Amino acid sequence: MSAAAARIDSFSFHGDAGAALRNVQLSVRPGTLTAVLGGSGSGKTTLGKLLAGWLRAGHSGVLHGSLALGAEVLEFRGGSGDPRINPAAWSGRVGYVPQDAGAILSSVRSTVAEELAFGLENRGVARPEMIRQVARIAEQTGLSALLDRDPAQLSGGELRRLAVACAVIVEPQVLVLDEPLASLDAEGAGELRALVDGLLDAGTAVVLLSQAADALARNAGHWIILDGGTAVAEGPPADVEKGAVLRDAGVLAEGPDTGTPVRLPTAAAVAPGSVVPGSVAPAAAVPVLELRGIGFGYAAAKTPTGRPAKGPAGSLPASDLLRGVDLTVLPGEIVAITGTNGTGKSTLLRHFNGLLRPQAGEVLVEGRSIAGIRTGRIAASVGLLFQQPRDQLFERTVLREVGFGLRRLAGSPEAAAGRAQEALAAVGLSDAAQAHPAELASSRQRLLALATVLARRPAVIALDEPTVGLDRHGIERLQHATAAAAARGAGVVLVTHDLAYARTNAHRVLALDGGSLREL
Amino acid sequence: MSLHPLTALTAACCAAVVTTAAGSWPLSVAVALAAALLAARAGVAARVLTAAGVILGPLFLSLLVLHGLFFPEGHTVLAQWGPARITAEGLDFALELGSRTAASVLLLLLFSFTVSVPDLVTALAARRVPPQFSFVLASTLTLVPAMAGRLEKIRRAQEARGLVVERGLLSRLAAARLQAVPLVLGLVEDAGARAQALDARGFGTPGPRTSYRQLQDPPAQRILRAAALLLAAAAVVLRLVTAWPAAVPA
Amino acid sequence: MSQQPLTLPDAGSRAGAAPRRRMLEIAGAAAIAATYVFLVLTQPVEIANGPASFSALVALGGFLLGAVLLLAAVLPVLPTSTLVLMPVAIVLNVVLGQLMGSTGLPFYLDAIGTVLIAVLAGPAAGAATGVLGSIVWSFFNPTVLPFAAGAALIGFLAGLAARAGLFRRFYFAPVAGFLTGILAGVVSAPIAAFVFGGTAGLGTGAIVSAFRAMGDTLLAAITKQALISDPMDKAIVFTIAALLAYALPRRTTFQYAFVRRFRVLAGKAPSDSAA
Repeated sequence: MSAAAARIDSFSFHGDAGAALRNVQLSVRPGTLTAVLGGSGSGKTTLGKLLAGWLRAGHSGVLHGSLALGAEVLEFRGGSGDPRINPAAWSGRVGYVPQDAGAILSSVRSTVAEELAFGLENRGVARPEMIRQVARIAEQTGLSALLDRDPAQLSGGELRRLAVACAVIVEPQVLVLDEPLASLDAEGAGELRALVDGLLDAGTAVVLLSQAADALARNAGHWIILDGGTAVAEGPPADVEKGAVLRDAGVLAEGPDTGTPVRLPTAAAVAPGSVVPGSVAPAAAVPVLELRGIGFGYAAAKTPTGRPAKGPAGSLPASDLLRGVDLTVLPGEIVAITGTNGTGKSTLLRHFNGLLRPQAGEVLVEGRSIAGIRTGRIAASVGLLFQQPRDQLFERTVLREVGFGLRRLAGSPEAAAGRAQEALAAVGLSDAAQAHPAELASSRQRLLALATVLARRPAVIALDEPTVGLDRHGIERLQHATAAAAARGAGVVLVTHDLAYARTNAHRVLALDGGSLREL
Repeated sequence: MSLHPLTALTAACCAAVVTTAAGSWPLSVAVALAAALLAARAGVAARVLTAAGVILGPLFLSLLVLHGLFFPEGHTVLAQWGPARITAEGLDFALELGSRTAASVLLLLLFSFTVSVPDLVTALAARRVPPQFSFVLASTLTLVPAMAGRLEKIRRAQEARGLVVERGLLSRLAAARLQAVPLVLGLVEDAGARAQALDARGFGTPGPRTSYRQLQDPPAQRILRAAALLLAAAAVVLRLVTAWPAAVPA
Repeated sequence: MSQQPLTLPDAGSRAGAAPRRRMLEIAGAAAIAATYVFLVLTQPVEIANGPASFSALVALGGFLLGAVLLLAAVLPVLPTSTLVLMPVAIVLNVVLGQLMGSTGLPFYLDAIGTVLIAVLAGPAAGAATGVLGSIVWSFFNPTVLPFAAGAALIGFLAGLAARAGLFRRFYFAPVAGFLTGILAGVVSAPIAAFVFGGTAGLGTGAIVSAFRAMGDTLLAAITKQALISDPMDKAIVFTIAALLAYALPRRTTFQYAFVRRFRVLAGKAPSDSAA
C-alpha cells in the first residue's frame, strides 16, 4: 500500500499556454527513498509541490489526474467541481522542503524554537505539547543548541536542517526534499544524509528531487527521470543509468562515492577550433587585465556611500583580505581562481570593474588604469557575471534583456540586434527570445545573464561561480561560450570552488590563499 | 519593571490624546521633553531625536511660514509686507500646533523604538487580534531593514551592466526603472513562495491559535492601562464639551 | 494531532459571517463619510487653538474608527497570497517613493505599492493595505497614521478602477488616478488642516499660503491645495503601478484570482479548460 501516489495527466499554471507536466506517475511506499531526476525546468519542483499540496488544482493551475494518500483518492478533471485541497491538512501527511530553505520559514518569528512551533500554533496545539514536540524535533535534527538563535542568522547547513525540521514536526508520512544538498559544504551534506537515513528508518517515505545523480540519489530504490515535463525513464537506478537518458535529460552524473566532483565532458568533446587547454595565447600582446599589488580589507574600506563595506558572505573580517595580489591576463587566456569560501574570490572579482576600489595597488584594463572611472563606463570593457541573476532582470522579453545598452556600444540598432541574437545563440536561448526572463528556469536565467555579458563583447569577462545552479546542458553551453569568447580575444577569469571544472577548462589555475594568488 | 507592550502602547497613545485635547503649549512642550528624557533613559535618544527631527523639521518650518505670515484671523499685527502679515495670533497658533504634534510624534517614536516586536505580536495574539494583522506588522518590520541592502545590490549589478546615472530627468528615470523593476520582481516572487509555505503550515486556517511565546501581564499594569484609558476619555469629553459651543455655528 | 479532512468544503457555505462583515464595512465607510461632513459643517469660522483641538479629536477619532472598522471587516477574509503581498506593498510605498524622489520630481509618490496590490488583489486588499500600511509605517513616521482613511480610499478606488478594466489600456490608468486624487485629497484635507495645522512640504505650503493670503479658511485653503497637487500625484502613481504590474511575468500576475476573474490586465487570457 503506497503512502502517497500521484497520477498527473496534465498540469498547467494559470497564465501559461502549455502544460508544465504531462503523463507522470509517482507512487511511494513507506520507508523508501525515491529520486526524481531532471535538468533545470524539467518539472521536478512542480511535481513535488503538487504531491505536497503546495500547488493545488484550481488555486495554482489546472490539473487533470489524481492524487492519493493512503486509501483516500482525489480525482481532478480540471473543472470547478474538483475537490479543493486543504493545504494545512495535506501537509500533515506530505511535507515539502523547498530548494531555497529560507522560503519555508514564516519570517515573523524571532527564535528557532518559535519558528518550529509556528505550524503547531496555527493548529491550536496546547503549549505543553508544543514544548515537547519542539524539543523532540530539535533533538532529531540536531538543532537543540540553536533553539534561541535568530533564524535569519543561521548558516546554510543550519538553515537547511531547520527547514527540514519545520516540515517534519507534524510527522508526515511522506517528505519531499527539493535539491537538499544544493550549496551545502561537505559537513552539511553529511549531516543531511544522516537525517534522511533517520527518517527512512522511522518509516517516512522520502522523495528526492535533484539535478544531479549524486550519492544520496544513488541510495534510492527507484528513479524517475523527467525531461520537458514528462517522465522519460523509470526504474531501479542500475537500469536507468545504462544508456544516454541521463545525459539527454541534462542530469549531472557524479561518482558513486561521496563528494567527488561532477564528471564533465572532456576537452575533446568541446567544439573543435576552440581553445585547447594547455596552449597559451601568443605572447607580446597587451594584457587585457592587470592587477598590480592589490591590497584590500573590508574593515577599513568604505563604499562610496560612506558606510563600511561588507564582504559578500555578510561578515566583516578584521584583517586585510587581499594582500599584494598580482594577476596578468592575456587576450584569449582563460584563468581559473579557486579557494574555499570566504578567502576573497568574489571580492577580487569586484575590483575588476571598479565596484570595489583597492586600498593599495592599481587595476589596469587594456593597459589603462581604471582609477577614477565610474563602474558604469568600465562595464564596456569588463563584463561581470554575478551569482544571482535575479538582481539584474528588468525587461519583458529575453531579447530586450540582452539588448540593453547595446545600441550605444554597437552603433546602430541593426548591429545591436545582430549582436543580441548572436549572444542568445551562443548560450542556446534563441528559442526563448520572446519569453519573460523571470519565467525561465534558473539554469537558463544564469545563461541569460551570461548572454547579456557576452553581447557587449567586453575585453575581460569575469564569472563568479558560473557552474552553480547549471544543469548538464547549461554547463556544456557555458564551456562553449567561454571558449568562443576566449578564441575571439577576450580574457576570461572564472572563480569557482569546483577544482575539476577549473582544470578541464582553464589555461591556468590559481589559488587564492592567505590573500594572494599562487599557481596550482 | 519590564513594560508589557500593550501598557507602553496605551500610555503613549493616551498621553498623545490628552495632549491634543488639552491644547496648551506648555503642557505639550513638557510632554515632549518628558518623552525625550525617557528615550535617553532607554538608550534610544539618538535614534528617536534624529527620526523626529527629520519628520518635524519641515513641518515646523512650514507651519511657521504659513501661520506666521498668513493668518487672516489674526488681529495683533506685528509687521507687514504686502499680503504677508506677521500676527501674534498666527505665531501662537503655529506654536500650539507645532508643540502638540512634536509631543505626539516623540511619544509614538519612543514606543516604536523601544517595543520588542515579538513581544508585541504575542500580546496581540493573547488579545485575540486577528493573526493576519500581526503577521503583516511583523513581516513589514522585518522586511524594512533589508531593503537598503537589496537596492544597493541591485544598483551594483546594474552598474556592472553599464548603468551610469547622469544629470537629467530622463537618465534618472531610466536609472530608477532599472532598480525598481528587479526589486519588485524579486519581492513579488519571494512573496509567492512564502504564501505557499504559510498555507502549508496552517496559516490560512480559521480557528483557535495558541502561542509558544508567553508574556507576563501583572495586574498592576492592567490597572494602569485602564486608568490611562479613563483619563484619555475624560480629557476628550472635556474638550468636546467645552469647545462645542464655539465650534458649532449657531 | 487531530485528523482534519483533506479537502475544504465548498466556497459558498460561509453564510453566517458575510452579513456581519458587510455591516462592519458599511459602518466603517459611514463613519468616515459622517466625520467628513461633520467637520465641514462645524469648521470654526475663526480658527483658534481650542476649536482646532476639538476638530482634531473629531477628525482623528472618526477617521481612525472608520479605518479600523474597515480593516476588521476585510482582513480576516483575505487569502494568504494577498497577505504576503501586503508587506511588500507597504515597503514599496516608501522605497519607490524615495527612489522617485531621487529623480527630482516634486511629488510624494508614496502610494505605488498600495495601488499595485489593488490592481493584483482587488479593492478590499487595496483598502486594507492603505490602513495597515499607515499603521505599520507610523512605527517609523507617526505623522502618517491620521491619514489612514485617505490611504484606504486610494487603495479602494484603485481596486475599483482595476475591476472596471481601466488598467487594460495605459491611457486610462492616469485618468483613474486623477479622479482618485481628487477624492482622496478632499477627504484628507481636514486631517492636514486640523490635526497638523498645515502641510509638510514647502511647495504645498506655499500654495496654501497663497490661498490663505486671499482670506480662505484653513480647511478651504488646504482643500484647494489638495485639488491642485493630489490628482497629478495620483495620476503618476497609477501609471507607475500599471507599468510595474505589466513588468511582472504572466504566471505571477495570473496566480491572483482577481486578475483572472476580472481580466484586469490586457493580453490574451489562456483558455480555461471547460471539462
